[in-house]
Amino acid sequence: MKYHLRSLLYLLTFFFPAVVFAQDSLENALDMPVEKKNVKATFKAPKLINIQTNETIYKNEMDFRVDHRFGDIAGNAGGIKNFFGLDQSTDIRIGFDYGISDRFSAGIARAKGAGIVTQLYEGNLKYRLLEQTTDEKMPLAVTLFGSTTIAAVKTSTDPTAANAYSEFQDRLVYVVQAVLARKFNTNFSMLLMPSYIHRNFTAFGDENDLFAVSVGGRIKMTKRMAFVADYTVPFRNATKKAALENTSGNQLYNTLGAGLEFDTGGHIFHLNFTNATAIQESQFITDTNTSWLKGQYRWGFSIARRFSFDKKKENQTK
Amino acid sequence: MQKLLFTLTALLLYTGLKAQVWVSKSVTSSFYSSTPVEDIDAQSKSGASAIDTKTNNMIFKISNTSFQFKKKLMQEHFNENYMESDRYPTSDFKGKIIEQIDFSKSGSYPITVKGNLQIHGVSKEYTTKGLLTIANGEAKASSTFNVKLADHNIKIPTIVFKQIAETILVKITAIYQPKK
Repeated sequence: MKYHLRSLLYLLTFFFPAVVFAQDSLENALDMPVEKKNVKATFKAPKLINIQTNETIYKNEMDFRVDHRFGDIAGNAGGIKNFFGLDQSTDIRIGFDYGISDRFSAGIARAKGAGIVTQLYEGNLKYRLLEQTTDEKMPLAVTLFGSTTIAAVKTSTDPTAANAYSEFQDRLVYVVQAVLARKFNTNFSMLLMPSYIHRNFTAFGDENDLFAVSVGGRIKMTKRMAFVADYTVPFRNATKKAALENTSGNQLYNTLGAGLEFDTGGHIFHLNFTNATAIQESQFITDTNTSWLKGQYRWGFSIARRFSFDKKKENQTK
Repeated sequence: MQKLLFTLTALLLYTGLKAQVWVSKSVTSSFYSSTPVEDIDAQSKSGASAIDTKTNNMIFKISNTSFQFKKKLMQEHFNENYMESDRYPTSDFKGKIIEQIDFSKSGSYPITVKGNLQIHGVSKEYTTKGLLTIANGEAKASSTFNVKLADHNIKIPTIVFKQIAETILVKITAIYQPKK
């Protein structure tokens, strides 16, 4: 009897794990590791409406992008007489970006330029410093953006004008930005971006150095359509701002853009409204003289197409 | 003495039972979509699979984000727009080998596998042919089958309709070892 009991005990201890194992199904045998991954597609394109996002293009990809801003829809300059702004274009920008690595891209662009500082050539660099991870160890993505813009416009004879250049360096504008972005869930991403702009030459009484902060967001509405918006506030010296507005007769405004983003697979198409007349950071942050409240907002659109030149990774399956 | 014998046999039986599960930790899977406009293929090498050699039950699990594409933007679209990998992180298969296979004997066996394949949160029953080769205490299983995107509620927008095939060819290869 004693032996029987012991046998039973042995039987139980030895068979029990095996039985449990079989029942626990094969799923446990897999024990797939929880991978730490970088969060992808916080935004769908390197640019939101007016501002940059944390996204860069991948290695050996080229992004061709055309941005367009029409004239005022309403207000004094708008209405039916200029077909709600469609007769005019305040700025047009054509840009090429190239992915040097998955985290680093370089771009060149030509823009018409809004206002009197026109014929703009831009060179820019964008670098993903940090990426948000799925395990939340890194809750934010950080991307740095820097650009230099050269205005090729003819020098003005008015010494107080923004384009009264006396030497080549006067034509340069530098922009440095840090994009802090977070994808909160599949459908919602936000970014916060401080900017620093240095203009070698400005209109009389304007500030050469300017700080600004932007917020932007994306809300996915359907699998292929999202609502996007951004808002930028430049920090100006109040007395200088008042003096500048007095002499030029133009008010300075913060910029607000809102629109829809369509992903067609390969193409990203933006249809938006913004009060900014200019497209490039070197201008829209510093020189927006148009206000939503005065009907001075406009249609804008952008079309971006990405081309891939990566042919190397051939599949090894047989 | 009797006690010792019993312990030994029980121990043997125990380890023997444990080894009835064979596991593969680096399942290679690839898929291929071909249209006159564009050929798309992607490969994953980090899938996992297990076979219960007693019951012939079989399981596969592959992380959708582990598929590598030649074009990274395509990979992003695959996860964002088609597989929705945030919501459905893995594709898996739970089924059974119909034939009785003696895993202790070397050889090549044609097999039929029947079970449910879950992709994009939608399960569908599949029966597919494959090959199982046992040699040197390892088992290699491979199979090729077709998956219709519509069966798994993966929609292709009309604008890229010509680039993505309606039926995708899937290849799976796994090398199993007895689980210790």
